[in-house]
Amino acid sequence: MAPSIRARRLRPAALAAPVAAAALLLTGCSGTGTNTAGDTSGHQLLTVPREDFATFTRNFNPFAPGQVVAPMTTQAIYEAMLVYNPANGKATPWLATSWETSKDGRTVTFTLRHGVKWSDGKPLTAADVAYTFGLQKKLLGGYEYLRAVKAEGTDKVVFSLTKPYSPGLFELGKQIIVPEHVWAKVKDPAKDTNPDPVGSGPYTQVANFQSQSYELRKNPEYWQPKKQRIDGIRVLGFSGNDSANLAFVNGEADWTQSFIPEVDKSFVAKDPEHNKYWYPKTGSMVDWTMNTTRAPFDDVKVRKALSLAVDRESVTEVGMNGYTRPADCTGLSGGYDKWRDKTLADSCTWTKHDAAAAAKALDDAGYKKGSDGKRKLKNGKPFTFDISVGSASSDWLSVANIIKQNLAGIGVTANVKSPDWAAVVSDYETGDYDTGIVWSDNGATPFQFYRTTMGTDSVKPAGTKTVSNYHRFGDKRADALLDRFAAATDEAGQRDAIDGLQKLFADEAPVVPLFPGPEWGAYTDTRFTGWPTEDNPYATLTNRGDTTVLVLTGLKPVKN
Amino acid sequence: MRYILRNLGFYLLAFWASITLNFMLPRFMPGDPVSRMFARSQSQMQPEQIDQLRRLFGLDNRPMWQQYTDYIKDICTGNMGISISRFPTPVSEVIASQIGWTLLLGGTALVVAVVIGNLLGIIAAWRRGGLLDSVFPPLLVFAGSFPYFWLAMGALYLFGMTLGWFPMRHAFDVGLSPELSWGFVSNAASHLFLPALTIVLVSIGGWMLGMRNTMIATVAEDYITMAEAKGLSPSRIMFRYAARNAMLPSVTNFGMALGFVVGGALLTEVVFAYPGVGFQLLAAVQGLDYPLMQGIFLTITAAVLVANFLVDLVYVRLDPRVRVR
Repeated sequence: MAPSIRARRLRPAALAAPVAAAALLLTGCSGTGTNTAGDTSGHQLLTVPREDFATFTRNFNPFAPGQVVAPMTTQAIYEAMLVYNPANGKATPWLATSWETSKDGRTVTFTLRHGVKWSDGKPLTAADVAYTFGLQKKLLGGYEYLRAVKAEGTDKVVFSLTKPYSPGLFELGKQIIVPEHVWAKVKDPAKDTNPDPVGSGPYTQVANFQSQSYELRKNPEYWQPKKQRIDGIRVLGFSGNDSANLAFVNGEADWTQSFIPEVDKSFVAKDPEHNKYWYPKTGSMVDWTMNTTRAPFDDVKVRKALSLAVDRESVTEVGMNGYTRPADCTGLSGGYDKWRDKTLADSCTWTKHDAAAAAKALDDAGYKKGSDGKRKLKNGKPFTFDISVGSASSDWLSVANIIKQNLAGIGVTANVKSPDWAAVVSDYETGDYDTGIVWSDNGATPFQFYRTTMGTDSVKPAGTKTVSNYHRFGDKRADALLDRFAAATDEAGQRDAIDGLQKLFADEAPVVPLFPGPEWGAYTDTRFTGWPTEDNPYATLTNRGDTTVLVLTGLKPVKN
Repeated sequence: MRYILRNLGFYLLAFWASITLNFMLPRFMPGDPVSRMFARSQSQMQPEQIDQLRRLFGLDNRPMWQQYTDYIKDICTGNMGISISRFPTPVSEVIASQIGWTLLLGGTALVVAVVIGNLLGIIAAWRRGGLLDSVFPPLLVFAGSFPYFWLAMGALYLFGMTLGWFPMRHAFDVGLSPELSWGFVSNAASHLFLPALTIVLVSIGGWMLGMRNTMIATVAEDYITMAEAKGLSPSRIMFRYAARNAMLPSVTNFGMALGFVVGGALLTEVVFAYPGVGFQLLAAVQGLDYPLMQGIFLTITAAVLVANFLVDLVYVRLDPRVRVR
C-alpha cells in the first residue's frame, strides 16, 4: 500500500463540485418552459397524459395487458371489426361493414371493409382476422364458445360457435386485428415487444420514443384519410394523479382520464369557456358486495334491510364528489339504459334510503336490538362486520365510511377495513371477508353483469379461489334466463330474458348496488375541437377504451 | 492486504444473506401478480382475462426450494428474468433504462450536499461561534426537518409554477432526444436543478453538523496546537491537519449514501415526475413483480456493498491505523 494520500490531492475535487453546482445554477436559469399550450398552428399534437405510467417501455404488443403495453396501442395502432359505444348503446361498423348471425345462432359472419390496408401497404384480409383469433386463443385462451374461424374469400369471416351465444357477437367484434404477414414471423409472440408496429389504425408510426414521452404519427395507408385531421398523438408519462393533473390544469395536455378532485374549482374555473368534462355514468356498477356464504348475509331480508339503510344521495354527493348518481334495484349501470325496466326500477323500494323501514325490516327478520341499543344476530352474537376497501381508493373509502355511519343509526356496527388493494382482493378471491365495495363486470349487454352476479356457473365454494362473483351467489332461475338470452337471435327475445333477470335481481338482491362508476374524462378545446359531449355522445371520454378511436378520428385541430 | 481479504469474505457472506432475504420477503406478501393487476385495473379487465394472463406470464408454480436454487443460479449468471409489470421487457433492461437518471439525480445531489455540507462544517468549526457557526446549523436542520414531500411541492409551486424559473416535470423537454449537445445538456440540467436542490436542502444539514462536531473535537487535539506553534498557515492546518482527521466518519457515511443512491429517490420522482428506479421499485412492489423487485434489490445490495468496500479501501489510505491492525 502506498503511503497516505496527501491532503492537497483532495482539494481539486472538493473545489470542482461547487463549480459544477454554479454551472448548474446558470444553466438552470436559462432553462425554457416546456409549454406547448398555445400551439394552434394546425400541426399541434394531441397530448394525452398517463398518470399510471411513470415511464414507458417500447412495447406495442397488443396481446400484452393494458397496464403493461404502451398506451394507445389498441386504440390508435390496432383496430377491431366494430366499436361498441356504451354512451349511446350503438355499435359502429369499423373494419367490418356488416355482420350477421345465422338463424340457429351458431354461426356469425362478418363482412370486412374493402380497401383497408396495413400501415406497410399490404391489404387487410379475412385471413388476417382468422389468424388473429387463432393467435389470441393460443396466447391467451378465452373464446370457449368458438369452435372455428374460417376466412371465406378475402372479405368474409365465418365464426362457428359451439352453442348459440348472442353475447359473443360484440366480444368477437371488439377483438383487435393484427397482420398475419408480420406476426407469423415473430418467434415468440407472447414475449415480443413489437417496437415498430404494423397496424390498421389512424396513428401507427412511432416517433421520438423517450422513457417519459413518445409520439404516434399518421398511418400513411389509413382507410379513412379524411378523418386523420390531427397530425399525431403525444403521450406523456406521470408517476401519479398529482403531477399529471398539474400538467393538465396548466393547459399542457388536452385530454385526461385521471381523477381530478373538485373538477369545477380546480379545472373548469380556470377557463370556463374551454375547460370541460363529462362523466357519463356508463362505467361498471359499484356494489356493496356481501359474502353470502356467511350469516347473516345469506338472508335476502338482511341484504335488503342493510341496503335500505344506505343513504345513496350522500354516498354519491359526498363520497363520490357528485360525479355519479344512486343506483336502482335493477343493478344496471348507465350503459344499459335501453335495457332498463323503468317501471320496476321506480316501483321497488330497497335501494331508496329509509332508516325507519330498515330498522323495522331487521326487527321483523329477527335481528332485534339488545339492551345496549345494538342489534344481535340470531345466535345472540352482536351484529358486527367489516367493510373491506383498498386503501388507495380514497373515494370508495369515504363511501364505506358513510355506510358505516348510516348503519350505526340502525344499531348495526360496521368496521371499515382498508389494507392494500392486493390484500383486499386476495380476501375477496378466497371468500375470506364479510362485505366490501366492489366493481362488477361490464360488457356490451347486461349479460355479463347478471352472469357474474347471479349465474350458478360463476359460483365457487368459499375457500376456492374465484375471480368474479365474490359474493358467491347463484340462482338456477338466473341460469335459465341467461341461457335464454344467449340463445335469443333477436333483440325482442334478449329483452324478454333481461327483463326476467332484472326482476330476479330486484327480488334476490344478490349484491347491494350503490352507484354506476363514472367514466372519467376531461378535456380542453383550446387546441382541438369535436369532443364527445352529453349532447353528442358519439363516444365516451375515455382515452384508453374501445371508443377512443372514435374520438381520435373525430377531433379537429384548432388553426389560427 | 489481510484486512482487505478479511473484509471481502465478510462482504460475500453479507451478499448471500441479503439475496436470500430478497428472495424471501416478496414471497410473504399476499396475492399474486395477476390478481394485483386485476385489482388495480378494477372492472377494466374481464375475469376471463385473469386466467389468460396467468397463462401469458407463465407464473411460477415450482416448489420454493427449486425457485431458490434457480434464483441463485440466475444471479450468478446475471440473468434477472423478465419483468411482469413491464412484461415482456427483461428486468435488466427496465433497470438499465432508468438507472442513469437515478444516478444523475442522486449522485449530483449527494456530491453537492456532501461537499458543501462538509466545507460548511469545517469552516463553522474552525471559526467556532462565528456567524456561519451560529446561523447555518439551526437553519439547515430546520430545513431538513420539513417533510420532504411538502418541501418539494412548495419548491415546485414557487419556482416552477409561480415564478416559472424551472421546468416542472420530466428529465428533459418533450420533443428532445438525448444527445451530447449543449442544447440537450443544458436542458437536462435545468430539469435536474429543482429536484436536486430539494434533496440537497433536506440532507445538507446532517453533513454539516456531523462534520462540525467531529471537527471541533479534532481542533482541540494537541497536534493542532503543535501545528499552530510551528507557525503553519491556518488554511493548511484547517484542511490538512484537522479536516483530514475529522473526515473519517463523513467518508463512511458518504459510502453508505452512495450505495443507497441506486435505490432511487421515490418522493422526488413522484413530485417532479422525474424518471428513475424509485418509482419503478414502488410499482414492482405494488404489482408483486418478483423478478423486477429482486433485480432492483440486488442492484441496491450490490451497490451498497461495493460502496462500502470502496470506503474500506479509502480508509486504508486515509487512516494509517487501519493498516496496522
